[in-house]
Amino acid sequence: MKIIGFITVIITALLLLQAERDFPNWGDPESPASSYRLSQHYITETYHETVVPNMVTAVLADYRGYDTLFETVVIFTAGIAIIGILRVFGGNQAEHKEPQLTKQKPDLILQTTCRLLLPIIQLFALYVVAHGHHSPGGGFQGGVIFGASFILLALCHDLKYAQKWVPERRILNLAGFGVLLYAGFGVAALMFGENFLDYGILTHLLPGSIEEARSHSMLGVEIGVGFTVTAIMFSIYSLLSSNGKMKEGI
Amino acid sequence: MIINTICIFLVSCGLIFFIGGAVGIIRFPDFYTRMHAAGKGDTCSMILILTGLSLYILHEPTTANFLVVGKILFIALFIMSTSPTSTHALIKAGFEEGIKMWKREDEKEGQE
Repeated sequence: MKIIGFITVIITALLLLQAERDFPNWGDPESPASSYRLSQHYITETYHETVVPNMVTAVLADYRGYDTLFETVVIFTAGIAIIGILRVFGGNQAEHKEPQLTKQKPDLILQTTCRLLLPIIQLFALYVVAHGHHSPGGGFQGGVIFGASFILLALCHDLKYAQKWVPERRILNLAGFGVLLYAGFGVAALMFGENFLDYGILTHLLPGSIEEARSHSMLGVEIGVGFTVTAIMFSIYSLLSSNGKMKEGI
Repeated sequence: MIINTICIFLVSCGLIFFIGGAVGIIRFPDFYTRMHAAGKGDTCSMILILTGLSLYILHEPTTANFLVVGKILFIALFIMSTSPTSTHALIKAGFEEGIKMWKREDEKEGQE
């Protein structure tokens, strides 16, 4: 069996290398990606149309808003699927003998460092979400950092302690709220008679000109993404670390 | 000129500490001493290198550069608090798992 696998890998690699020769050179101005006028439009017009210096954020949250909306939905669905697969409700708990973890006393050094760092990490996460317009960052990255701060809390104390702030119910609510907030911006645009996720019309709701309304809506959308990612990150950790019981754990 | 010399001195000191840490991880005999080398070396050398770099940036004392220096010093502060803590947590976990400590050959014979 091993030989068959090896041969398959070799053949696939050869095919991939063969296909790779057809790619344009890196940065080739004649390549389809560079010569197509859509990319020209993004590069030259993004700032005039949205007042967002970071093109990536503008493309991600505005021009391709549908894509990102459903990426968020994918993350939401993945979280729900993981909860559906791993979560154990009552029942035959006695049959599964868990490996007994040595019960450790809470560690003062860890807890003190955790208490010092946690607010800074969370502040940085919010900065990453809010500063996505000007620098690399945005909802996904900030959400991951925010979720990691709760994971740190659960690691330094225990899962029960972390769940005082993010109980299971709140996780699900937050995850759903994030997607709803994103979709809400789209529906708000619909209400004013524009296309779904066409933020420009939201200038009736938000302060500033049409361009600034687009920028502000992008921020709102990123915040929604951040909520979902945070909640799903922490729920995955807590399910995996407690064997799906969400009670104790590491 | 003087600043450059100080920068080079600090960064090369940091590199020497890094080499010490790396050699320690490979050469030391057991888990605890290896963690000791890793934690000490990383913390000290990172702080030295970052201080050197922030001094180098101050060649042109503009506002933007001061901001960068502030960020670098923040990184140094984080490393100063997190790196020893993580070393501590790892060693404590190892100790509670009951990993044996290394002893010299003659001490081992004396005990057994």
